[in-house]
Amino acid sequence: MDTTLELKEITNLLTAEKMSRRDVVRTTNYKLLLIVFLSIVLTVFDSMGQDQKQNYGKASDEIFPYQRYQKAYKYHFLVPIQFYGAGREKLPPTNLKEVRIGFLGPLEGSVIVSLGKQMLQGATLAIEEANKRGGYHNIPYKLMIHNDVGLWGAAANEVVKMDDEKVWAFLGSIDDIVSHVALRATLKLEIPMINTGDPDPTFTETNIPWAIRVITDDRQSSYGLVNQIFKKDGHSRVAVIRANNRYGRVGIKIFSETATRVGHPMVIEERFNDGETDFKTQLERIMVTSPDAVLIWGNAKESALILKQMRAMGFKQLVYGSDRMVSPEFLKIAGPSAEGVITTSQYNPDANNLRLKVFQSNYLKRFAQEPDVFAAHAYDGMNITIEAIQKVGLNRVLIRDVLTDLKTFQGYKGITGKKTFDQSWNNISDIWIARVSQGKFKFTPSPSMDPKQKVTSKNDSY
Amino acid sequence: MQQLRINKQVKGKVILMTLYLFLSSALLSDGNTPIGKYTGKDDLTKTDQKVEKVSGKSSANAVLNKQANPMPVYGHWRNFTTKDGLPSDKAYCVRIDGERVLAGTHDGLAVYEKGKWTTYTTKDGLPHNGVVSIDVSQQTGDVWIGTLGGLCRWSAGKFEIFNQLNSGLPNDLVYCVICDGKDVWASTGGGAGHYDTYTKQWEIFTEKNAPMHEPWTYGVSAGDGKIFIAAWGGGVIEYTTKTKQFKDYTDPDGEMEIDLLPDDGLVHDITTATSWADGILWVSTYFGLSRYDGTHWKGYFDHDSGLASNFINFVRAKGPVVFICTDKGLSSTDGKSWVTYKKNDKRTDGMAIIKNYGRNDDPATNKTTREMPLSPSIGHNFVIGVDANNDFLWVATEMGVSRGELLK
Repeated sequence: MDTTLELKEITNLLTAEKMSRRDVVRTTNYKLLLIVFLSIVLTVFDSMGQDQKQNYGKASDEIFPYQRYQKAYKYHFLVPIQFYGAGREKLPPTNLKEVRIGFLGPLEGSVIVSLGKQMLQGATLAIEEANKRGGYHNIPYKLMIHNDVGLWGAAANEVVKMDDEKVWAFLGSIDDIVSHVALRATLKLEIPMINTGDPDPTFTETNIPWAIRVITDDRQSSYGLVNQIFKKDGHSRVAVIRANNRYGRVGIKIFSETATRVGHPMVIEERFNDGETDFKTQLERIMVTSPDAVLIWGNAKESALILKQMRAMGFKQLVYGSDRMVSPEFLKIAGPSAEGVITTSQYNPDANNLRLKVFQSNYLKRFAQEPDVFAAHAYDGMNITIEAIQKVGLNRVLIRDVLTDLKTFQGYKGITGKKTFDQSWNNISDIWIARVSQGKFKFTPSPSMDPKQKVTSKNDSY
Repeated sequence: MQQLRINKQVKGKVILMTLYLFLSSALLSDGNTPIGKYTGKDDLTKTDQKVEKVSGKSSANAVLNKQANPMPVYGHWRNFTTKDGLPSDKAYCVRIDGERVLAGTHDGLAVYEKGKWTTYTTKDGLPHNGVVSIDVSQQTGDVWIGTLGGLCRWSAGKFEIFNQLNSGLPNDLVYCVICDGKDVWASTGGGAGHYDTYTKQWEIFTEKNAPMHEPWTYGVSAGDGKIFIAAWGGGVIEYTTKTKQFKDYTDPDGEMEIDLLPDDGLVHDITTATSWADGILWVSTYFGLSRYDGTHWKGYFDHDSGLASNFINFVRAKGPVVFICTDKGLSSTDGKSWVTYKKNDKRTDGMAIIKNYGRNDDPATNKTTREMPLSPSIGHNFVIGVDANNDFLWVATEMGVSRGELLK
C-alpha cells in the first residue's frame, strides 16, 4: 500500500513537475517570441535612429565641430532645401532640333587643362552613347562646350551664355573657384548643375538647391587620410606641404581640423605655388620639425617633384597625398620615389565591374587614352543628367526636382561606384585608399572613422 | 538568472524605445537639432503664444493699433505679369523712382508709369535683357542697371554700357548695383567694383586688396559713410569711404555646417545681401538673418521668429523696418514684431502673418500670432526683390511684380 501510495505520489509529483516544466517552457517561449518581436522592431528603430542621428558629412562625434563641448544652436544640411520657385508648369518647346546640355571645364589657359580634356571626353562618350540609343525621343543631345578660364570670374559669363543657348542642364567644373562662381549664377538663372570634378567641400555647403555633386569630396578624403595616417598607421607628427591655391587651402582645412580633433595637430604647414619646381626652402623647414610622416596636397606635377626632392634630401618618412596624385603624370615624374606613397581616390579604376571595363575599353578606342578619375565621373554625371531628362522631359525645374529628390538617383550604380547623396546633394560615397606598389596604384576601401559605421563599398564589383 | 537577464534585456529595449520615442519627438518638434538640443541659456526654439485669425480691414486696423509702434501692413495687392505688359514673369528686382517704378526681369527692363508698362531690351541699348539690379542716383537721377551681361547707366534717354572689356567692371554678371552720392558700387562674382562718376575711375576690390576670403560678392549697400559688401563665403566687408579702411565680419564659429550661437556674430558666412538704415545693418544669408546695431549681433531663423524661411534672396531696410525676400514669402520686421506675406498654394489669395514679438526669447508677454487674410495676395512666394515708399510696397517674384498698398 505504502509502496503504491509512494508510487502514486511519485507519479503525481513527476506529472506536476512535467506540467510545471511545460508551463515554464511555454512562458519562456512567449517571452522569447516577445524578445524576437521587440528585437526586430527595436533594430528597425535603432537603425532609423542611427540615420537620424548621423552627423553631417558622416563625421563621427569625435571629429564633428564643437560636438564634444557644446551642442550647436543650429545644424545645417540635415534637411534638403527645396526649390519653391515657379517654372514646373512650363511646357517643353516644340520643333527642337537638338537637346542641349552645357559643359563647363578647363579646356585652355589653365594648369589643369589635361584634367578638363578628360572630363570633356567622358561627357562626350556618354552623349554619343545616348544618341546611339535614340537621343531624347529621336532628337539628338548636343554638348554646348564652354571653357571656364578667361577673364576673371569667366565662369559666371559662361553660365549666362549657356542660359542664352537654352541648355537644360550643365556639367561643371573641376576648379573650385570656377565651380563656386558658376553655382551662384546657376541659382540666378535656374539651370541644374551637375558637378563631377570639384571636391571642394564648401561647394555643396551653400544651400543652393540647383546643384548635385557626383564625385566624393575632400571632406571624405580628409577623414580617410586622418584615419589612415593616425589610426591605422599610427603616426602622430605629420608635416604638410600644400598648394597655395584654393584646392590646397580648403582641402587641407578639413584635414587639419580633423587631425587636431583626434589629438594630432599638424606640426608644420608649408605652401608652394602652381608651376614651382624648387621646394628646397619649404622642405628644409619641414625637416627641422622631424615629422614621422609628410602629407602633400596639390596637383600631380608639383607633388611628384616635391616627392623626388624629398627623397634626394634624405627624407625617409612615409608620404601621403591628395587625390590628384592618382595620375600617370605623377607616376611618370616621381618614378621610383613614388613607391609606397598613399593617397585617397574617389573610385577604384581596377574594380571588377563589367560596365567600368566596357567604359574603359570604349574610351580607349574613342580617344586613344586611358580614362582618369575626371573622365569616369563626367561619364557618370552625364549619364545621370541624360536619365533625368529622359525621365521628366524638357523642363529645368522638373529636371532639378528629379536630380535632387534623393530617391531617383540615390544609390545610383555608376561605373565609379554606388552614389550616396546627403541632404545637401553632396556625394558622400566611401573614399578609396590608393597605394603605389611596383610602380602602380593599388586600391583598397578606406576604413570608416566611426567604428559603428560599416564601409559599404568594399565590394569591388560595386 | 536567465529570466533575470532576459528581463533586463527587455527592460533595456523598452527603455531604449521610450528614450528613442522621447528623443525623436523632441527632435521632430524642433525640426532643427537632430543631434541634440541646444543647451545654452537662450533656448529660442519655443514660445508661449496664441494664434488668432482676423479678417476685414477694421480687424486689420485693430491688430495694428494694439501695438505702440505698429509695423506697416500692406494689402489691396495687385499683381502684374506678362498679361499686363511685363516682358517676363520672372522678375529679379524692383525700384521705386518717384512716380514711376522700374522692374528688372529675365527678358528686359520694365518701367511702370501712369498705369502702363514699357519694356526696354538690348534693342534699345541694354547690355543684356536679364536685368538683375537697379538703383537711381539721388544726385543726378541717372538709373544704374546691373544685368547678366554688364552694367549700364540710363541717362537722358541713352544707355551707356560698362563691361569687363571697356571698363574696370570686375565681371559682367552684376548681382547688385547701388549709388552712393557720386559713387557707384557693383558687386560681381569677380569682386566688388567702385566707379567714381566724377573722375571716371574704377577700383576693384578682391581678396588681394580687401579682407575677403574670396572675391565673390553678391550684395552691396551704403549707409553711415560706409559700404557693406556681402561676400560669398566671406561674410560682410565694411568699407569706410572717408578713411578707405576695411573691416570684415564673419561667423565666429568658422564652420559651414552649424551656427554655434545665434548672437555671436553673423549666422553664416555665405551672405546674399546687406542693407543699412536707422543705425542697423541687416544681413541676409541662405541660413537665416542677422541684425547688427554696431555693438551687438542678433540672429533670426524660421524656427525662432516670424521669418518665413532661412533661404533669403535679398533684404532692403527702410527706416526701422527691413523687408526680407525669402523663398517662402516676404517677411518684414523691426526686430520687435513681424509681418509676413504669403500666398496660398495654387490660389490667388493669401495672408499676412503678424507676430507681436521679435524672437521667441523676447521678454514681452502676451505673445500672439495673427493671420490676416489677403485677397489677392502677393504674386508668388519666391520673392527676389523689394522696394517700399510711404504708400506702396513693390515686390519682384518668380511670377511677376506685385504692389501692395499701406493699410492705414
